[in-house]
Formats: sequence, C-alpha cells, structure tokens
Amino acid sequence: MEHKFKQILLVAKWEFMQFFKWKQELLSKVIMLCVGLFIYFSQSGALFSPDKYVIAVPSNFSASQLPAPFIIEKRSEAVEVLIPMLENKQLDGILLPMNTLDQQQQFKLITVGKMAWQKEFEMVLSTHYSKVLAERLNITAQQIELLQQPITLVNSYLDTKIKSQEQQSSSTAIGVLVLMIIGIFMSFGQIFVSITGEKQQRVTEQLYACMSAQTWIDGKIFGQMLHSLKAMISTLISFILVMAFMQVILKGQPLDLSMINFDLLPWLGLFALLGIYMATAFMAAIASAIDDPNHSGKTAFMILPLLPMIIGFFIIDSPSGTFVEVLSYFPLTAFAVMPMKMALIDVPIWQTLIAIVSTLIGCYFTRVSAGRLFKLGMVMYGKEPNLKQMLRWALKEPS
Amino acid sequence: MQEKPILNVCNVFKHYQQVTAVDNLSFSVKEGEIFALLGPNGAGKSSLVRMLIGFTHPDSGTITVNLDARSYSAIPHHALGYLPEDRGLYSEKTLTQNLMYFARLRGVDKQIAKQRIDFWLNEFELIERQHDPLKSLSKGNQQKVQLISAVLHEPKLVLLDEPFSGLDPINQEKVVTFLAKLKQRGITVILSAHQMAMVEKLADRMLLMNQGQTVLLGSLAEIKQQIGVSAELVLRYETDINLNTLDADSSRLTLLNNNTIRIELSDAKHLNTKLIELTQLGTLQHIESKTMDLHQLYLKAIAQHPTQEQRQHGA
Repeated sequence: MEHKFKQILLVAKWEFMQFFKWKQELLSKVIMLCVGLFIYFSQSGALFSPDKYVIAVPSNFSASQLPAPFIIEKRSEAVEVLIPMLENKQLDGILLPMNTLDQQQQFKLITVGKMAWQKEFEMVLSTHYSKVLAERLNITAQQIELLQQPITLVNSYLDTKIKSQEQQSSSTAIGVLVLMIIGIFMSFGQIFVSITGEKQQRVTEQLYACMSAQTWIDGKIFGQMLHSLKAMISTLISFILVMAFMQVILKGQPLDLSMINFDLLPWLGLFALLGIYMATAFMAAIASAIDDPNHSGKTAFMILPLLPMIIGFFIIDSPSGTFVEVLSYFPLTAFAVMPMKMALIDVPIWQTLIAIVSTLIGCYFTRVSAGRLFKLGMVMYGKEPNLKQMLRWALKEPS
Repeated sequence: MQEKPILNVCNVFKHYQQVTAVDNLSFSVKEGEIFALLGPNGAGKSSLVRMLIGFTHPDSGTITVNLDARSYSAIPHHALGYLPEDRGLYSEKTLTQNLMYFARLRGVDKQIAKQRIDFWLNEFELIERQHDPLKSLSKGNQQKVQLISAVLHEPKLVLLDEPFSGLDPINQEKVVTFLAKLKQRGITVILSAHQMAMVEKLADRMLLMNQGQTVLLGSLAEIKQQIGVSAELVLRYETDINLNTLDADSSRLTLLNNNTIRIELSDAKHLNTKLIELTQLGTLQHIESKTMDLHQLYLKAIAQHPTQEQRQHGA
C-alpha cells in the first residue's frame, strides 16, 4: 500500500514536472510585470504624454479655459488656415461647433489621427457644457445630477430561500466557476498530450510492468490536477494583483475585495477541488481510449466536463427550480451546480453534504473507469475501442 | 524431492473472437534458467507473454508463478523485469532521468539506483552519454537503455520480448553477455527471439510454438532427439548415383544434386550399416559431417507441424 502510494506520487511528480517549465513561468510573470509598469507609467503620463494639448476653438467659444492638460486657443482664422498648423504640430486639434446651444451640443474635432486624449477631451467638454447649459436653464448642478441618476429597482420574492441582492454572492461563485474552466482547459490539453504521447512513445507497456493501470492513472490525474490548481491559483493571484494595481496604484483607493464572499469560499474551494479531480479523471479516461490522436473522433468527448459549468452559469436566473434541485445532487453535475445554488439561495447544510458525498461517488467512479479504460486501450493496442466497449469496461472490467 | 518450477503453465487456452491464440499450452520454467520462446509470427508468443505479465488472463488453464513461498497467477510487478516488443522510453528526458524514474517506480532507493545505473551504463559503454536526451541515441543504444531499465530493481524473473531485434551483431553479442550475467546472478530469463544463433548460445531450454500450440519443448539436445535428427552427413560421389538401387530406408536421404546426397542421422547405432550401404552407390569423393543448427531444426519442425485446418481434418 505504501509502495503504491509512493508510485502515485512519483507519477504525479513526473507528470507535473513534464509540463512545468519554470523558465516559461518566470518569463510570463516578468512580461506581466512589464505590462503593468507600462500601464502605470503611461497612465501617470510619464510615457508618451505631452504636458499639454492645444486645441483651437472659434473666437466666440463659451469658455476661456478648460481643465489641464487642455489649453484652448481662440482663433478667428478659417479652418483652411488652421489645418497647416495642425500638420506642423503647432496645434493638437481644431474644435468646430456644428449647431447652436438651444439644440443638443454637436462639435467637430479635427486631429491629425486618432489620439488617446480624445476620449478625455470629450468628457472635459461635456462637463463644461453641462455647466453652461445649467446656467442658461437656471438649474443647479445638483439638479442635473439628480436628472442623470438611474432608477433603482429592489426585487422581492415570495420564495424565501432566494437570498436578497445584498446577500447574494454570485460573483464569488462565478469567479470559482471561471477558475474551474481555466483549470479544466489546462488539464484538457495536457492530459491529452501526455497520455496519447506516452502511447505513441511506446512507454505504456513498460509502465504497466511496474505498476497497476489504476496506480498509473491515479498518479497522472493527481499530477494534472496539480497543474490545474497551479493555473487556477496563479490566475486568482493575477486577478487580485490587477485589482490592487488598478484600485490602489492607479485610482489611489483602498483595496476592496468585498465582492468575494469569504464565508462561502471554503465550500466553493472544496467543490472546485472535487470538480477538477472528476473532470481530469474523465478526460484521462477518454484519452486512454484514443489510439491515434490525429484520427480519433473521441477527442470531442473530452470537452464534456465543461457542461456542468455551463449549466452552473444558466441557473443564475432560476436557482430554485426542480431541475436545478436534481442537478445539484447528481454526481456528475453537483460540483458546479451546488456552489452556484449556495451563492444564490439559502441551502441547508445537509443538502451541501449530500452534494459533496454525491460528488465523491462521481470522483471514485470516474477514477476507476479511467483506470479500466487505460487498460482497455492497452489490451486493444492498435485498434481503438468503440463507445459500447468503453462503457462495458467502465462499468466492469471483463475477466 | 523435485524443486518447484518458478513458472508453471498448465493447459492454457486463450481466444480472441474466432482466433485461438494459445491452444492448450503447458510448460514450466526452472528458477535461474534461460528459457526461450520460439515460433513464427502469430504463433501466440505475445499472447502468452501478455498473460504471463497479468495483462490478460487465460480463458482456461492456469499460470502459476512460485516466488518467495507464495503462488501468483501472473508474474508480480516487484519480481518482473520486462522488455516489451513495442518499446520506448521518454525520448525528451536524459538516460539518467529515464532510468532513475523507472528504478524509483520499482521501489529502488535513490542512492542504490544511482549505483546500479552507473554500473549498467558502464557495462554498455553508455556512461558518457548519461546526461544526453534519449532521442539523441541510436535505436540500438536506446534499446540497451531499455534493457537496463528492466533490471535495475534486480527482479527474480526477466521477460524479454525480442531483445536482439534492431541490434547489430556487436550489440547482439553484448546482449548475450548481459543475459549471461543475469543468469550468473540467479535471475530467471524468459525471452522470445527470432535470432536462433543467439538462442542456441544462451538458452538452457526452449519452447517452440506454432499456432498457439507446443511443437517442441526442452533443451537443444532434447529437441534434436524429439525431432529425430542428431546430425547429418553430406556425401559426394565421383559419378552420378541412383538412389533406387539402395536397399536401406531412403526416407532420410535427400539427393542434393546428381552426385551428392544428404543423410539425416537420428540414431548413431546404425551408422556403420548405413555407411556400408552408401559406399556401394559409387566411389566417394568427399564426406562432410554437419550438425543441424537450431535454425534448421526450427524450419523443419514448423514445416512438419500440421496447420489448424489439417488438424481439424485429421480429427
């Protein structure tokens, strides 16, 4: 038993290291850091941005100045005269009014090309004209603000299980589902390459002489799962760093992680772990039955583990229906549906526990099936098993 | 009391749909001997090997492996060193990485594994290449690495499927030496091969299979006896000869050309009588004694073995 466990760990380590390229990992982090620094410095104006943008306006323009970095120059010359100045970079833009103040404000901005500052200029101009309009219509700035505010609709349900909007943690559940999708996509490619690659390199029979098919597949699932978790954790850390970068460094605000429900997170983490395990085992089972990766039609089946996640996204609008109830206990979908349900409605603890037990049963079944299908793939070496044979072996290994 | 064989195969049958791959096969292998499995392609050797390693199971009959006072229905992983017919290792990894991985999977301690890897790489003159990726080696050298990987855990029983294929004569000799060393260490070796000269040099006993059945079983001497050929004589006469004038049983005589005949000698007792008769055919120019080698025995035995169709008609 101890030796078997050591073998599983050895296969898992071999599997993990086969795809873990630390130089690439380091390089990707350095690139991310460079991108972050680039954004920071370009945002703060240290890169590329000149100190000021000079915009030519008609002499009857309502304002004599606009907030920095825009400087307005009132000019009486015709546009044809101003355009050479634009080309010579004496001006950055020419602003021309297209109608009167009684109507909706329309301007034409002539520039040499599409400029990064144009969006900011539009906002500055809009703010300026809001003030001008308020003065003309004799209304205060607060009144304008009120007019611009959207209505708020508070939903109330007769179904008391559905959490109020303040209590809902769908963003946490969606986040976990997205991370699981990343993890599954990571496994999808790697386990396919790993298993079919070993078959093509003719290593499998040699490995089978060292350990049982189940031990080998257990190690492989474990190794690939580590990769998925690495991808999920590194995505999560990157996301938090980006948020911190944007909120703290760019906007100068304190880091706000209130969108994450930390109470729910351990449960979601557990479901994610089991889900990734089951999905990896399922994909290992399919890959084990593929003889020739270039001509097999079974590769498409490997995408099936994404289905529960898609269902998870769909239940956001109707989290308490009978269909969702069934799927939240079903061994192959519970890992994705139950977390979403927990985020949206009040779920008694016993329901959560049933979903966990059910998922564990699903994990065990897919794991054992993967081991059997790996053996089937070897027994039928050179000939790919059909779905009927796969199903027969998945349920019971023939003597 | 006779020692228990390390492997005992008893009345084993294996069918794949309509094909009988192994047909009532029985034999045993003694501990420490080199046992060869011979037979043409499709004879059932690979099916047998797969059953021996527990990859498939017999439809009927039994396989018993006696090890450490226990009986197993196939060679257990810890006691098995295996070189499959379809071979390969991780081509991107170095020789040491590959060998260390397989040694560790077999439960060998890291330090001991390192010592054994160095020893065998030295023996096969590959120590200089230990940090090179496997793919940079020639096919023959890759095969040697795979042979090493099969014995690093010092198994009780080594099963080698075609260990000589793809090797040049020099490397074939190296493998012969390698196998002799395993025998010296008391390791039982079962090998399947088509290189009869190598098998003749190495094997203590052999099983010749055809269409899943036993054709011949025993040591080379025993096989020669079973097939009824111990030696042959080639006689060349000065003039053409006529075999019809011969009184003796001419069934073991072959006229090679008009003045040359070959006679198979199954029983040395009658040699005098036969020679006297043969001298009466004409004036002898040249006599040459030849021992039938395994290759010839193999061809003869396979040719004599009835096909499945013939057996059915016979029944």
